[in-house]
Amino acid sequence: MGRDVRSLSAPPDTSKLLLKGLTGSIRKRGGTVSALPERSYLLLDQRQDLARLAAYDAVCGFTLRDEVAPTWLHVLTFPLQAALMAEDDFPFSLAGLVHVSNQMTLHRPVSVGEVLRLRVWAENLQPHAKGAAFDMRGEIHVGDELVWEGSSNYLASGVKMAGEPVKAERLVAPGVEPSQLWRLPANQGRRYAAVSGDANPIHLSPVTARLFGFPRPIIHGMWTHARALAAFGGRLPSAYRVSVQFAKPILLPGKVGFVSEPRGDGWGFAVVNREGKPHLVGELVAGAESA
Amino acid sequence: MSSRNAVVVGGNRTPFVKAGGKYAAASAQDLMTAALDGLVARFGLSGQRVDEVVGGAVLKHTRDFNLTRESVLGSALSPLSPACDLQQACCTGLEAVVYVSNKIRLGQAQVGIAGGVDSASDAPIVVTEPLRKALLALSRARSLPEKLAALAKIRPGDLTPVPPAVIEPRTGLSMGESQALTTKKWGISRAEQDALSLASHQSLAKAWDDGFFDDLVTPYLRVAKDAILRPDTTMEALGRLRPVFGKGEGASMTAGNSTALTDGAAVVLLAEEEEAKRRGWPVLAKVVDAQVAAADYVNGSDDLLLAPAAALPVLLERNNLSLGDFDFYEFHEAFASTVLATLKSLEQAGVGTVDRARLNVAGSSLATGHPFAATGARIVATLAKLLAEKGPGSRGLISICAAGGQGLVAILEA
Repeated sequence: MGRDVRSLSAPPDTSKLLLKGLTGSIRKRGGTVSALPERSYLLLDQRQDLARLAAYDAVCGFTLRDEVAPTWLHVLTFPLQAALMAEDDFPFSLAGLVHVSNQMTLHRPVSVGEVLRLRVWAENLQPHAKGAAFDMRGEIHVGDELVWEGSSNYLASGVKMAGEPVKAERLVAPGVEPSQLWRLPANQGRRYAAVSGDANPIHLSPVTARLFGFPRPIIHGMWTHARALAAFGGRLPSAYRVSVQFAKPILLPGKVGFVSEPRGDGWGFAVVNREGKPHLVGELVAGAESA
Repeated sequence: MSSRNAVVVGGNRTPFVKAGGKYAAASAQDLMTAALDGLVARFGLSGQRVDEVVGGAVLKHTRDFNLTRESVLGSALSPLSPACDLQQACCTGLEAVVYVSNKIRLGQAQVGIAGGVDSASDAPIVVTEPLRKALLALSRARSLPEKLAALAKIRPGDLTPVPPAVIEPRTGLSMGESQALTTKKWGISRAEQDALSLASHQSLAKAWDDGFFDDLVTPYLRVAKDAILRPDTTMEALGRLRPVFGKGEGASMTAGNSTALTDGAAVVLLAEEEEAKRRGWPVLAKVVDAQVAAADYVNGSDDLLLAPAAALPVLLERNNLSLGDFDFYEFHEAFASTVLATLKSLEQAGVGTVDRARLNVAGSSLATGHPFAATGARIVATLAKLLAEKGPGSRGLISICAAGGQGLVAILEA
């Protein structure tokens, strides 16, 4: 498909990329977009860092086990996402992007000992009522076997794109009382930044969050996603597809509730505020059909 | 008595590694969950309820008050499986097996899991007593002056953390120092100790080479094999090590003939015999009987770690057996000299002699390592498999010593 494939042997430095992506807001403001760069980033022969996995599991509430969480695999693809978005010809600035929803499929259990090949690319640029939307896609292979697929849907607000906006399907939160209460300390964003490499300033401190229009720092959506999976403990299937929609940021420090109900071969779940309004709504389906 | 038998169906453990090594980032709960999940995978227990899961840890955080239940909830077992924490120092794992077996025999359980875990890497660090009291007072204080008064009681010296240590509270001696007294008293030589240690390493290495542990151990965190094992060690190499316990000329206890601080977890699956057959599970061995005893070690009249020698005659008499009636002996190697002094005291007391060719034939704690509470389940699974291979009617004897001058002995029979 005529893609420009950039193959790396080590993950790029995300902090530099984030800085570049964020300062891109000065250069990449507004305007009309029509296409995304035809480019994918490839990271070969990646061994997983056990100490970092242990820290990630502790921050997200997972048991440290040989089979890693699919959200951990997403974290491994994050430096490639950042690299892609920091490119000069990538039409959007990181600062203007909102992570709207996320899907991932774990095709089979992935062990911490496995060597991974990661690929990330952007596609599916579409007009949106508030700007333009696109998907950041990821694939992880072990040898020739596809073990994980992910798709992060982002909204670039304030840009113009021709065409009819596409409506997204809404996931339904379970209509039950929260069964768990999570207490998020003020430093939770820094803790997750340290293990995920996503040191976006909106998560780090009140001062840096205010620079980007938030009254207080907010926790990473992908932490909330990971914590929600961890909430199922040992009941997670060995292969599954999980979708989440990020409805409303969680300010730090904060207290949120977790609701879940069995749905067919999986679960519906949500992270809710005191009034029961969702911060995140999700659905997990056992089995491993393609994302 | 009823005709119900408690049988060992199988076992699973993590490979054991030195504290501060490959499992340094894993908590006791992580390790226990890993051991459980390996067992679940081996016996198709995913999503199934077992009647009770019993386990414990010797080094335990207060946050782990429900360690075993929390591990069950993190495992693939049904969340409807109840759990219980139990602790008897290094006897924990075996005592858990006794607990579950007794419930099975009494008809209170059909299927149970017993085991233990210890992470010397993840040991709790305790604050000093004055700091602890001040912090408790602070949490109770309602007004600012009360809070300040509580804080004012803290002295700089109180802030030094208290590291964990394997020290007997009443004697102030570490376990190695206590054992050094026993070693001297019973005249156990350096050469005897090193020879026992060498045998442990050689036997464990052979068992690994023979694939003996293929269905007893599940790799964890990129470790596939016991990491303390030195398959190539020699009497010369062991002989070069400097004594670490005991004083002066006669000091003979080294890092080579004492167990290392170890991280690991082990569990065994137990079931009522008919239930095991109904489910198509292997029946490796029956848990026949067990006996616990304690020693009066505080003022020096008894040895700290020789209580099993007091429990054994009681167990043998109750079962109309003599010490020679066993095909395998599993004597936990806290220190090489513990095993040797136990054997010597049994001989001296006229209980009998243990055939050394049948002792710890698949290696024991010196080579495998000793995550305190996990050792009992490791030994039960190993012995049950040895007995199943030997055939019906074969019998094995387990002996484990523990802190506090306690000892637990048990009989398994295929």
